Amino acid sequence: MIDTPVPAPPPLPDLQTCRILVVDDNRVNRHLLLALLERDGFHAVDVAEDGIDALERLPAFRPDLILLDLMMPRMDGFEMCRRLRADPQWQDLPVLVQSSLNQAGDRARAFAAGATDYVTKPLNALELLARVRIHLQKRALLRDLTQFRQRTEAELAFARRMQERLMPGPDRCAAVEAATGITVNSHFAPSSELGGDFWGMRPDSHHPGRLHLYLVDFSGHGVGAALNTFRLHAILQQTDFGGTDNPADALAAINRRLCTLLPRGQFATMLIGMIDPEAGCLRYASAGSTKPMVWAPGDAAPTPGDSAGLPLGLVGQATYETRELPLPPGGRLFLYSDAAIEIPVGADVLDDTGLAALIAPHLHEPDGARFLSTLTAALHATGPIDDDLTALLFTRRS
Amino acid sequence: MDYAIEAKDHESIVRLRGRLTFNDHAKLRTLITEMQGSKGKRQILDLGNLEFVDSAGIGMLLIAHEEMGNADKQLVLRGAAGQVKRVLSVAQLGKIVTVED
Repeated sequence: MIDTPVPAPPPLPDLQTCRILVVDDNRVNRHLLLALLERDGFHAVDVAEDGIDALERLPAFRPDLILLDLMMPRMDGFEMCRRLRADPQWQDLPVLVQSSLNQAGDRARAFAAGATDYVTKPLNALELLARVRIHLQKRALLRDLTQFRQRTEAELAFARRMQERLMPGPDRCAAVEAATGITVNSHFAPSSELGGDFWGMRPDSHHPGRLHLYLVDFSGHGVGAALNTFRLHAILQQTDFGGTDNPADALAAINRRLCTLLPRGQFATMLIGMIDPEAGCLRYASAGSTKPMVWAPGDAAPTPGDSAGLPLGLVGQATYETRELPLPPGGRLFLYSDAAIEIPVGADVLDDTGLAALIAPHLHEPDGARFLSTLTAALHATGPIDDDLTALLFTRRS
Repeated sequence: MDYAIEAKDHESIVRLRGRLTFNDHAKLRTLITEMQGSKGKRQILDLGNLEFVDSAGIGMLLIAHEEMGNADKQLVLRGAAGQVKRVLSVAQLGKIVTVED
């Protein structure tokens, strides 16, 4: 029989280097504890004679654990413990009380004052040392975990800023408006630090006035989905949207690239479209995206477009359909991720019909940013949103 | 999401109930293993009582489809209604998996 190697547990910090403060008014007890600890290998040990003495030694000595007597002159252990805990920097410091008070009430009072653990005198050396080691280990592990958490949070925040930079900012929107006469407003809110949504746009370099745009939603959310947005962004940077009048071809090409990259079970929905001011329409193709909605000045309700299509990354040979929606001067195009229609309403969800009803009163709100903020407020009032929410509004100049 | 399996010689019917989302990953993994181990060639997921499926849920159904293919079985999605039916049809999943009313 072959022994399977057991993975080694994570290395524990060198407990012997930990700093211990012994607080006891009895000189004999202090020496006894000091000797015990030193015999067990702890050499960074300091002693204090009472609560006041101990508090004064804290800032310079910075102990990893305190062995605390309760009955002391000047300031007793209860009061010292309370003062210690009032200072945030000592909130996690293990305080092991060692006392000859052995009534249940005394113990309860010590714990109420902030003690971590309690041993009664006369001391059992083995038990005391075992408890000291356990509390030092717990503290070291907690510290390790806290550091890991802080580092992860910082990295996620950084990654989030990177992801936000994938998407057009105010400068880009202003440039697009100058080039095409199309005002663009956007709302982007990942459900966790990172999201699986992203969008982009590019004026057509061959046909002035035309605007190419896309909205992508990767399955799932969080880090995995976010990494996929970076992948697809890189692919889209290399795609020449102006080369074809046919968004379906562009979508099929993107799908072929993505099929080789995505692990199974992961996919993306996408709408890719081109606003053609000359023809007064949006030409688009959809890989299972949400339904695009358009309306013209004077319309009472938005017109939804068909969005059926195989999501990206599932079938390499998938083909798509180019569809059209009218977009006259002054007309608007509204795109959104599925979080907007998956809000639970009773046993069902909001769905696109509910969303259309929600935006209908605000279709002609002149301020696009206000249109989106009114909408997101209405969505949050409808129910909890537990996925990445992106909403885009494109307004043609009238 | 909860499920109940009714296994017969030639097919199994698995009735899904509730919401199938990102959080059901482990449960669906277990279900797939159970389906792989059962005798029937046809593994029918009855979606009639499934209220909601999100994109991660669709991904898991696709994994189930692939795993059944690897085990020489056929996955059938049956009886989807409401939001689940709309999602299946927008994503044209009928082109990949057998979808029955």
